[in-house]
Amino acid sequence: MATINASISISSDIMSYPARINKTMTMKKLASCHGLEETTGLRTKKFGLVTTAAVIAEAGELTSGQAHKMYIRNTSSSKAGYFFVAYNASAAGATTTEIIGKLHGGDWMLFPYNGATNITVASDGAEEQTLEYMVFADGIVAAEG
Amino acid sequence: MATTTATVSISSGDLNPGSTLSINASSTLMKTGLTTGMELMEMGNHTLAVDTEKALSLALGEVNGSHFVYICNTTTDDTRYIEWGLHETMIGNLGAGEWMFIPWNNAVTSDSEVELEAKIGAATFEYAIFKSAWTLPAAGGA
Repeated sequence: MATINASISISSDIMSYPARINKTMTMKKLASCHGLEETTGLRTKKFGLVTTAAVIAEAGELTSGQAHKMYIRNTSSSKAGYFFVAYNASAAGATTTEIIGKLHGGDWMLFPYNGATNITVASDGAEEQTLEYMVFADGIVAAEG
Repeated sequence: MATTTATVSISSGDLNPGSTLSINASSTLMKTGLTTGMELMEMGNHTLAVDTEKALSLALGEVNGSHFVYICNTTTDDTRYIEWGLHETMIGNLGAGEWMFIPWNNAVTSDSEVELEAKIGAATFEYAIFKSAWTLPAAGGA
């Protein structure tokens, strides 16, 4: 069993008193005390100025209904550009209902993913952007020969 | 202008044999328009009975804006987890002791809540929403 730890630290002076959130978790399998032990690997991909939706996590690649974790980061230094991140088929526009959110340059996200839908991205901005992403898997479906 | 910074560290010494995984990233959260830091936040915690739902709503928030959501399942029983989703589609299972952090642009004007549902047993979670903008309800008559 592998041990994968992830910690988050959020600090803010929005309120009149400093707000601090600090949490550390060990990534575990669904409803289990056992840690995740598989990954699809850390990947980086450069995108053009404006792109159509592309799949970065494919539902059929992972065991459905489990407790995978997905990390995504826009590694660009400029906040001007962003990626739409969506579940299911489309991430092509702001009004698409499947949009989760926008990742501007430097922004990151980490969320549990059940492997039942695709995770897609579409680039939008004035410059090329690079996406960094990784799935920590609770079961990978072996490709058919 | 307020400054809100979110930092993540992911590490493992035994996921990839022969190499240590170490990911570190930090971002300053900006409002829509990208020139001003976040100026609104909401924090809280809630207990869900098994198979019941709670929606974190941005119904009075800015549509297609830049918002961020942090959620942590503070339950200690490893068998219990919280399903989360958007628009009636469940996207993932948040285990006991696990947290998530996502951008949330509130893409459409209705049915865009982050939905949470406890599975196996009751579950408690804490959350924080960082908002670009928020409109208070208009005063009614009477």
